Amino acid sequence: MSFRPRRALAVFWKDVLDLRKNLGLLASMAVLPTVMVLVPIGVVWSYVRTPNHADLRSVALFYDPSLPLGASAARFLIDKTLTDWFGMFLVMPVFVPILIASQSVAGEKERRTLEPLLATPITAAELVAGKSLAALVPAVLITWVAFVFFCVGVDLVAWPLVQMPLMPDALWTFGVLVLAPLFAFFGNGVAVLISARAGDARMAQQLSALVVLPLVGMVGGQVAGFLKAGLLYYALQGAVVLVLDAVLLWASIRLLDRERLVSRWG
Amino acid sequence: MSGIEVQGLGKRFGDRVAVEGLDFHVRPGEVFGLLGPNGAGKTTTVRMLTGLLRPTEGEATVWGHHVDRDGESLRKVVGLLTEQPGLYDRLTARENLRFFMKLHEMDEAAAWPRALHYLERFGLGGREAEPVGGFSKGMRQKLAIVRTLVHDPRVIFLDEPTSGLDPESARTVRDAVAELASEGRTIVLCSHNLAEVERLCERVAVVKRRLLLMGPVRELRRAGQALDVRVEGEAERFRDALASLPFATNVLAEGMRLRVMLEDDAHAPDVVACLVGAGARVHSAVPSQRPLEEVYLDLLREGRS
Ligand SMILES: Nc1ncnc2c1ncn2[C@@H]1O[C@H](COP(=O)(O)OP(=O)(O)O)[C@@H](O)[C@H]1O
Ligand SMILES: [Mg+2]
Repeated sequence: MSFRPRRALAVFWKDVLDLRKNLGLLASMAVLPTVMVLVPIGVVWSYVRTPNHADLRSVALFYDPSLPLGASAARFLIDKTLTDWFGMFLVMPVFVPILIASQSVAGEKERRTLEPLLATPITAAELVAGKSLAALVPAVLITWVAFVFFCVGVDLVAWPLVQMPLMPDALWTFGVLVLAPLFAFFGNGVAVLISARAGDARMAQQLSALVVLPLVGMVGGQVAGFLKAGLLYYALQGAVVLVLDAVLLWASIRLLDRERLVSRWG
Repeated sequence: MSGIEVQGLGKRFGDRVAVEGLDFHVRPGEVFGLLGPNGAGKTTTVRMLTGLLRPTEGEATVWGHHVDRDGESLRKVVGLLTEQPGLYDRLTARENLRFFMKLHEMDEAAAWPRALHYLERFGLGGREAEPVGGFSKGMRQKLAIVRTLVHDPRVIFLDEPTSGLDPESARTVRDAVAELASEGRTIVLCSHNLAEVERLCERVAVVKRRLLLMGPVRELRRAGQALDVRVEGEAERFRDALASLPFATNVLAEGMRLRVMLEDDAHAPDVVACLVGAGARVHSAVPSQRPLEEVYLDLLREGRS
C-alpha cells in the first residue's frame, strides 16, 4: 500500500479550511492560551510590586532552605514561577490538538462524511497523517504565538525589578521548540484514537481531555515542593512522550481501518 | 474486464447474516437496480462492491478490480453516493467538490469544468460559492451526486438517492439520475422504491438478504399477467382443473370469479378451453395486468418463507 502525500494534504487542507470557519471551536481554542499567558504575568507582577515583603522570604525558604541571605526572594520566586509554569504551559500543546482532532475525526462520523471519504482511494495512514497535521500545525503555532506574548509580557512586567530580559531562557526555548510539538503529537494521538471509537465529538473531547490531568498533577507536585522542575526533568518528560507518540501513531493507523470505521455504525 | 461480476457474495456481522449467496452481473453502460425493502442488505452489498466492507463469502470484481484485494485501485474507478449525502456544511459547494478532486489527485483546473457542467445541469449553477449548510435536502443530494462524479468514475453506486426527500426534490434527483443514465454511464441504483427502479433501470435484482429475482424490468411486469374469468355458479369448482395447467402460476377463486396468473398472456385461450372442458359456462374472460407492486410484494412474501 502506497502513501500518497497529496491525499494526506487534501485532508489537511479541508480540515484547516473547516477550522477557520468554525467560530465556536476557534473561540474555545483561544481561551487556553490567554489564560496560559496572563496568569504567570500576573504572578510575576505581584512579586515585582512588593519585592521586599517579608512573607516572600518565608515562601522562598520553603522551596529552598539554602537560599543565601543576600539573595532577592522575589527574584528567586519569579525564577521558580517561570520554571514551574512551563509544565502548565505544556497543557496547551496537548489540549489544543485534542479540541481540534476530536472534532475532526468523531465529527466526520457524526455527520456521516466519513463514508464518502473512505470511498475514495485514501489510505488509513494518509487519513491519520492529514488529520494529525491539521491538529498539530495550529496547536504548535498557537503555542509559539502565545510564547512570544508570554516572553514580552513577563519581561515588561519584571523589568523594574530585574533590569534585564528573563525570557526566553534555555529551558523555555528548548521546551517550546522541541517538547511542545512532541506533546501536541501526544494530545492529537490520544484524540484520534479515542474519536475513532467514540460515538460523538463531545464525548471524544471529554475523554481525551482527561490526559492533561497527569500534567496538571505534576505541576501541582512542583508547587507543593515534591518535584523539582528543571531542564533535565522536562527533557525526561519529553522522552516518555516521544515513546507514547510512536505507540499512538501505530495504534491509530491500525484503528482507522475502513471496515472497522464503517461497520461500527450499526 | 469491464462491468461488475458478483459470485456467491455474502456478509455476516457476527452471527447476523446481512447478505448471502448473491450472484449477478452488471454490463457496462447499464443501469442496474438493486430493489429490496429496508434491511434487505442493499447498502451492505454496495459497501462490499466499493471496498468499504470485506465480504465474508464469495467474490466480486468491479471493472476488473477485485473488491477484496485491489481496494485502492477499485476506489479510483467507482463513485459512491452514500445514503446520507455527508457534505461538509461549513464549506462551500465548490470547496466540498475540490476536496474530493484533491483526494482523487485530480488536476483541479482540468476537473472543475466538468463539475461545473453537472452543477449547472442539476440546477446548482451559481450556488457554488455558498456554504452547503444552507442548501435544501434536494440540493444537497444533487451536490453529493456531482461529488461522486468528480473523478469521472466508470461505475456509480447510488444508495437510495431519493429517500427522505420531498416529492419535488425526489423528482429533480430522479431526473438527474436519468441524465447520467442517458450518458451511457454504468449505474447501480439501490432503492426500496419500485416505481423509481421501474423508471430508471433496465434490469433489476430483487433482494432480501439473498437474490429473489433478477431480470429486465419488463420481465417483472410479465410476472404480473393474469386472466380474469367469470363463470356460472361457484368458481371454486374449477380451481383444481386450472391448477394442473403448467403455465398457470396461481389461481384465485371468489364467488363467480376466477383470477388465473399466467406466465404469458398467449395462454389465455388455453385457460378458457380448459374451463369449457371441465364443464364451465364462461361468461367473460378479460386479460389483466396485476400492478407491479403486487408482484413485488408477492415476491418478498415468498422470499420470507
Ligand atoms: N455494521 C453492521 N453491524 C451489524 N449489522 C449490520 C451492520 N450493517 C448492516 N447490518 C444489518 O444488515 C442488514 C442489512 O442492512 P443494510 O445493508 O443496511 O440494508 P438496506 O440498505 O437494504 O436497508 C440489516 O439487518 C442490518 O441491521
Ligand atoms: Mg440501505
